[in-house]
Amino acid sequence: MTRILLVGALVAAILTPACAEPAMEPEPGVLVVSREQVGSWVRNFNPLLAGGLARWPTRGGIYEPLMVHNPAQGAWTPWLATGFTWGEDVTSLSFSLREGVRWSDGEAFTADDVVFTFDLMKKVPAFDTQGHWRYLRSVSAPDPQTVQFAFARPFVPGMEKIAHQVIVPRHVWESVEEPVSWTNPDPVATGPFTEVRRFDHQVWELGKNPNYWMDGAPKIEALRFPAIPSNEQATIALMHGEVDWAGNFIPAIDRIFAGRNPEHHRYWFPNFGGAIFLYPNHTVGPLKDARVRKALSRAIDRDKVVQVAMYDYTSPADVSGLSDGYAQWRDEAALTEDPWTDFDPAEAARLLDEAGLPLGEDGLRRGTDGQPVTLELSCITGWSDWVRAAQVIARNLQGVGLDVSVKSYDFGAWFDQLQRGEFALSIGWASYGPTPYGFWVGAMSSGSMFPIGEVAPQNWHRFSDPEADTLLAAFERTADPAEQERIAHALQARFQATAPLLPLFLDPSWGEANTTRFTGFPSAENPYSRLSPNHELEFLHVLTRIAPREPVVAEGN
Amino acid sequence: MGGTARYLLGRLGFYLLAAWVALSLNFLIPRMMPGDPATVMFARFQGQLSPEAMDALRETFGLSDASWWSQYWTYLRHALVGDFGTSVAYFPEPVTGVLLRGLFWTVVLAGSAVVVAFAAGTLLGTLAAWRRGGWLDSVLPPVLALLGAFPYFWLAMLALFVLGFGMGLFPLRHAYSDQLTPGLSPEFLASVFRHTLLPALTLVAVSLGGWMLAMRNTMIGVLGSDFIEYAHARGLAPRRVMLAYAARNAILPNVTGFGMALGFVLGGALLTEIIFSYPVQGYLLIQSVRAQDYPLMQGLFLTISLAVLAANWFVDCATVALDPRTRR
Repeated sequence: MTRILLVGALVAAILTPACAEPAMEPEPGVLVVSREQVGSWVRNFNPLLAGGLARWPTRGGIYEPLMVHNPAQGAWTPWLATGFTWGEDVTSLSFSLREGVRWSDGEAFTADDVVFTFDLMKKVPAFDTQGHWRYLRSVSAPDPQTVQFAFARPFVPGMEKIAHQVIVPRHVWESVEEPVSWTNPDPVATGPFTEVRRFDHQVWELGKNPNYWMDGAPKIEALRFPAIPSNEQATIALMHGEVDWAGNFIPAIDRIFAGRNPEHHRYWFPNFGGAIFLYPNHTVGPLKDARVRKALSRAIDRDKVVQVAMYDYTSPADVSGLSDGYAQWRDEAALTEDPWTDFDPAEAARLLDEAGLPLGEDGLRRGTDGQPVTLELSCITGWSDWVRAAQVIARNLQGVGLDVSVKSYDFGAWFDQLQRGEFALSIGWASYGPTPYGFWVGAMSSGSMFPIGEVAPQNWHRFSDPEADTLLAAFERTADPAEQERIAHALQARFQATAPLLPLFLDPSWGEANTTRFTGFPSAENPYSRLSPNHELEFLHVLTRIAPREPVVAEGN
Repeated sequence: MGGTARYLLGRLGFYLLAAWVALSLNFLIPRMMPGDPATVMFARFQGQLSPEAMDALRETFGLSDASWWSQYWTYLRHALVGDFGTSVAYFPEPVTGVLLRGLFWTVVLAGSAVVVAFAAGTLLGTLAAWRRGGWLDSVLPPVLALLGAFPYFWLAMLALFVLGFGMGLFPLRHAYSDQLTPGLSPEFLASVFRHTLLPALTLVAVSLGGWMLAMRNTMIGVLGSDFIEYAHARGLAPRRVMLAYAARNAILPNVTGFGMALGFVLGGALLTEIIFSYPVQGYLLIQSVRAQDYPLMQGLFLTISLAVLAANWFVDCATVALDPRTRR
């Protein structure tokens, strides 16, 4: 009797594949996006507390900036502002605002809102993540369509920071008592998507702004965000056609994703972003010597690194450390002078000999103290692409007689050591912005230098160059494009001469789209922006251009 | 009966002491990790954060430089009233809110899986020992031991890929269909059942063997005892001998194990969550460790340790009820 019951229960359990859920198509015009990998959603739309706490696309898709930089085009696109003009001695900057822009609740957007946003950041330093008030003196609105920024000192790069600041409505935010811990559950904003249609822990939806200023945009009804906690799950969802737009790393993407539906499964990984570098700590042993750093760089087989670590999705970086997105700033002619990013172990050996690190009988290079040069290359546990890159690099460096070993740390521990300068070699990213100014500040300015043991936001390798300081100061004082270009070329020359960081490969931008239901995604043929949703503000181009494949029947909303 | 009460009260006192130790370790261990929450937090800005904003944020998140002693006292005081502060990773949500979200689904998924695995495993073990050498006894133990020997994530991924992705028999993720609004409607409950089935089955599949083998082995020992012979000789019904005489004695080690397993449930089925995107607590735990979110870590570890202690207390009570010898 019991046996029969048991067997019956087992059979029932196995046959329950009445369990299959009927596959439900999302409503037409609702774009399913996988951007943030989380287990469950937290309702937070506070755009001013930057750093990944607010839901994507709060900064950009909900709250908009004055202008949007587009690395794919190397140009600025006017957004809430139509343009800007510099005052006489580059200590004042005025933006003229677009006419006819309304907040999603119908109120008019004016210069008052911009002034309020900047004043709020002055009052609440936690919001001023960009450090606007280090160069600003005051912000005023001479008329409702003009905002005037008075600078405390000439600081041309301030324009990029101001243009990229997202603006919040005064009439909502002036009555918020604790703006830092306010989650802003129902945002009032100017962006293409502002209406939170539903918000559950597993899924939430953001509907379009009924008052959006751009003619005919957005063309889609809503964005939908299922909570997907891991890259594997995101990949399965993409393969299955459940996600229309994503920014994931997918290994062997041609086979796994594109090959399954060559017509509609698209991806585009352009290299318009930053680069990934090998950081040599200039305070450790022989790494202070530029010849040694160049020798290290010459010993690295970057093609192999890109192939083994990055599935050939990207290309090796060159001596400038500047990506394809900086084409207008790069001095192509200077790249061939001393190409120390080319793989040349013989030259590496020559440089090491010259720097006084002779090869011992055991095949290891000796330092000035007669001891073998041993260096630890730190990387992050679980960041498998970087770990593989580190292993290739370590093998390359061992090849020229340096005793280099790879050691993985937990992210927190790794980043702490990096910032305090307590490492020998490490893989790392560098600042990336509309111009390479921030990158050069981090690479070789005395302003970004901190003593060993103190937390340095950038310049982890601890290097400063007086000539670069002079050039950077000059760059801050000129708004003349020809002059800017001349200084940029000189800064690139300083970078190449001093080799403060060793460029490894360009950081690709991961972007996948399923064009079954939607059209108008950027691609190599139509490069109006990068495809990836991962680039803050830039994705506004995509959000305002993609359209459903079949015309959507308008719903009364 | 007074002895029983004293015994149980004594155990309770011991558990309170253990709770205090857990509470203190809970405070200490996160702080012994290298790095601090601010560092990790600021990594998100990729070095573009102004030092002024960094200081302001540090203050906002309550990352004080106060001495450990004063932090410890504040922590103890707040913990007593269930206030664990604000999560750093999910700022500005309070830790209790973050915890409660995962807790419900943890209980639904891991709780039901443990109960089913325990009940089925114990029953199967009883039957296997009772009909020793029968087909149940010769087929199931090796099969279940084999299943249990597979790494869980591999088995779960295979199940998801073959049954969910390949054959489309089960939903691929989440605790209920995204098309439904949570509520007590029959559609919603059916959806929860459908979504829970595959992850729960994988959890049961790997743990069933352990329960069954443990039960079977103890039961075989008990069946060899004289009092079982005597019960048979008295002419008692075989089922009564099996359940009330043999199983009741053999189940004691399993009950202890059940208490432990129930406690660990609250730790969340970490891999289950990652593989099936099931919104349980496990992922929170990983995320809080990655972000060095002390308040969230404290809240999570405390829930887990308290759950283990509470489960053990209940096991003590159950043992007293099942085994008269402990009542002396």
